[in-house]
Amino acid sequence: MSMTQSMAAASPWFQGKPAFVRFWAYIGLMLGATGLALWGGDGYSEDSYIFQLTSMQGVLWLGTGLLLGAALAAIASVAKAEWGESPLAERLVSWGDGAVLMIAMMALFTLFEPSASALSYEDQSNLFSIKLIMAMNVLFLFSAICYILMLFAPESFVARMATGTAWMGVYVGGSMLLLRWYESYLFMDGSIGHAPVSNLYEVFMLLFCITVIVYLQWEKRYQAQAMGAFVMALVAAGVFFEIWLGSIGQADIKPLVPALQSYWMKIHVPLNFVGYGSFAVACGAGMAYLTRQWLEQRNPAMKVLKVFPSLEQLDQLAYKSVAVGFPAFTLATILGAAWAAEAWGGYWSWDPKETWALIVWLVYGAYLHVRISHGWQGRTLAWWTVSGFLVTVFCFLGVNMYLSGLHSYGRLS
Amino acid sequence: MANMRRMSQRSVFSRELMHRLSSMPLAITLLTVLALASVIGTVLQQNQAQQDYLQQFGPLWYWVFRSLGLFDMYHTWWFLVLLGFLMVSLSFCLWRNVPRMLKEMRSHKVYISERAFSHIKQQRRWLVSADSAEHIADKLKQALKEWQWRQEERDGVLYLRADRGNRHKWGYIIVHSAILVILVGGWISVQFGLRGDMAVVEGSSENEISYLKGTHTEYKTMPFDVRCNSFEINFYPNGMPSEFRSNLTIIDHGKEVLTSDIIVNKPLYYKGVRIYQASFGDGGSHVKLKLFDLQGDRPPRIIDTQVYQTYKDDISGFSFEITDFRPHNVENMAAAGQPKDFQDLGPSVDFVIRGNGLKPVKMRSFLQPLEIDGENRGSIMMISTTGDKRDFQSIGLGLDLTNPKEWALYHAFISRLQRLKLEGKNARRMAFKSAMEEVFGDQRPKNFQQMAVRVINGVQALPQLPWAVLPVLDDYDQKYYTGLQLAKDPGMNVVWAGSALLVWGLCIMLYISHRKLWFIIRPQDGQWRVEMAGISNRNPLNFNREFHTLLSRAEQATAHNPSKGVDE
Repeated sequence: MSMTQSMAAASPWFQGKPAFVRFWAYIGLMLGATGLALWGGDGYSEDSYIFQLTSMQGVLWLGTGLLLGAALAAIASVAKAEWGESPLAERLVSWGDGAVLMIAMMALFTLFEPSASALSYEDQSNLFSIKLIMAMNVLFLFSAICYILMLFAPESFVARMATGTAWMGVYVGGSMLLLRWYESYLFMDGSIGHAPVSNLYEVFMLLFCITVIVYLQWEKRYQAQAMGAFVMALVAAGVFFEIWLGSIGQADIKPLVPALQSYWMKIHVPLNFVGYGSFAVACGAGMAYLTRQWLEQRNPAMKVLKVFPSLEQLDQLAYKSVAVGFPAFTLATILGAAWAAEAWGGYWSWDPKETWALIVWLVYGAYLHVRISHGWQGRTLAWWTVSGFLVTVFCFLGVNMYLSGLHSYGRLS
Repeated sequence: MANMRRMSQRSVFSRELMHRLSSMPLAITLLTVLALASVIGTVLQQNQAQQDYLQQFGPLWYWVFRSLGLFDMYHTWWFLVLLGFLMVSLSFCLWRNVPRMLKEMRSHKVYISERAFSHIKQQRRWLVSADSAEHIADKLKQALKEWQWRQEERDGVLYLRADRGNRHKWGYIIVHSAILVILVGGWISVQFGLRGDMAVVEGSSENEISYLKGTHTEYKTMPFDVRCNSFEINFYPNGMPSEFRSNLTIIDHGKEVLTSDIIVNKPLYYKGVRIYQASFGDGGSHVKLKLFDLQGDRPPRIIDTQVYQTYKDDISGFSFEITDFRPHNVENMAAAGQPKDFQDLGPSVDFVIRGNGLKPVKMRSFLQPLEIDGENRGSIMMISTTGDKRDFQSIGLGLDLTNPKEWALYHAFISRLQRLKLEGKNARRMAFKSAMEEVFGDQRPKNFQQMAVRVINGVQALPQLPWAVLPVLDDYDQKYYTGLQLAKDPGMNVVWAGSALLVWGLCIMLYISHRKLWFIIRPQDGQWRVEMAGISNRNPLNFNREFHTLLSRAEQATAHNPSKGVDE
């Protein structure tokens, strides 16, 4: 997940031995953080963990993990040269870089936060994340416009702008979410601190970032830039909805109701949005497929068609998106059931949200079934991804807005 | 012979049935019907009170929906039959396909016909100088060590086949079995599980749970008692509840075996039963109401009653059905558009007042007078004429009824006004002055100005009320009940096992692709011609790339001179 693909391609840091060593350094870092949580001096407390990480003890744990990981990897790659050639490490190391960059950006942004005396729970409009949200909105909207213009001017500056602003939007959005997490600790003596995945407004922004990340992976690997016009159009529509949500007072950081006070929230919600985001990308690919087919029927010599990926490629990309989203969505639903078993006394209550999640699961499950076991593809499945996404949107938004049930905290209040 | 024919007919029939049951159209139809049926249950709220349904749909539709079981849809026989059908279909599907898949995974035909070979999209050929075809084969195997190799010689031509990810068919088997396991787990939960509600008042114990079966409630006695020692609610500074906490003791055969706190998300576990914090409510708090006589001369009386009881006041003829008590009432006191200003209005009691031919009305009375910016604005009261809490409207009474002197002043003033039956500013002022002298003599209390304003407001507001008496909350002794949910779920672990299988199977199914390579090595012009072809069962985009890497590795291994290569 690097900011510029050209840099990733050219730099030796992203290939061979350096990538391998850096990859294991990140793994060591994560193991260090885990070790601190499990065996750290003061025990693990969710709300103070961030401070433990930045304390002397935390630096020692993280540093040891990082150095050990890097050293072991270096020794291994010297001892046996072919171990150093790991495609997995080459692919994953840039995700580590991206995460580090986001955290660094978030740390930088905390410096712009207003002083404690200027903050008030009642009026949160001076939080720095508000400005970042606006920046993210502008970047994504601008990127969407560029992607659409790019259809008519490929190989141009516009095309590079489209991809560049999409990446910038992801980084601003991601670091903004982290910053919002930090900000939630600034009110009421830290008693309401929680991950920014607790209401519709916050998860919307998470959804944009995940959708764009999934799409950009496909763009990076399969040069499917024209598909971006469709995916980013969906994101842009979401941005308008999010702006509307903000305008009716849904943007505030609020305390968690008792039902949401669980570590499951941090796992269940983001994983669900990996599903939703991937389904959005699949829908974008499906729309691109249908558009291309329609254009081909009208005039096969059209210039725009040269920019589009081939029908086969779009079909594949839609499938790949579902293949990413479906297991994530399945796991998210299962973990949701595990949470329900812990909070509500039963893993399945036929609550509207659960039932609609099942329907979404059945829709994409049937998609995979007819595709894998019966070899369907093409137009029918393109329509399937588009209509499947409509069902997903209802599951995500419609249930919260129109139906009542146990998931009512996602509701507009 | 006839018997034989019947036998074979029957077997044809059963094969046909099995074929139908495990066919794709049936599976897709089942999934669609299941999805559509599930939608009904989300649009129509489940397990509500029957009167609400009747009110909402009218008698005809209520009867139709009720007979279809739509008010508890997910437990109706027809929905369970649908799920059962899905299980049968899945089982037949597995029964039919698993042996074939296992066989396919075991056997790998090495030989490939020219025709089949030529249909493969990814292929290249090149020439190699070597001692023998075996030699080349060894080099290839060495170069692509991670692949599974097989070889066969036919008519002087050496056929090699290499496989990777050939276990991917386990993915299908695992996924489909996992769904079956989950459904079985669900069936065990429904059949042998237990789930019900229990309300335990603070300080008392309970051993009966209630649950809905269809449209009526059933009860079951648990093998142990649960005592609620205390229940408390903690709040965030803005008044939102932050925690519901019950302290419970389990009493098994008269012995206290376990005492523990539970909160939402942290249930208690005892003898296979989980005890969850589900809700709470008033457990029959004792409340004292002060009855102010609005029309007569009687001094205020105190009545002592309890939530969920009805107090009949024989003197005035009114009755008060106490419905709820709340220790806190946090409200946003800011005007619309202003920054929020949360304020606790203090304890309140809800009751329904009936009598003397008046329409029953729901009321909420507060212990404290309303205070805005440190200024006492007198007692308030909320009234809902529909009986629905959402229709509560706040009414200012003007007077601070908690202050006996203030009531005395009001009473003295209003009785003078009535006696004088005079209008005009002066007469009122005289009456007020005389009332004040009666109550306070010469010594005016502090904040007298404010009190005077309140009394005058009271004179405007109180006589408007239609009731002869006005009850105001005077004192309370609060008691909660904690709403527990008890659940025993022997099928849960089966469901988790099935879930783990499902995710594992999906990963195999979606991320492992079966890739096959063929090499055909045959002599040509004193050299060897190597032909290589490869296919993948999915992800052709990636495989195109992988094939080219593999090709260059194969070419390098056989020390092929690129200039002699013959491209396809």
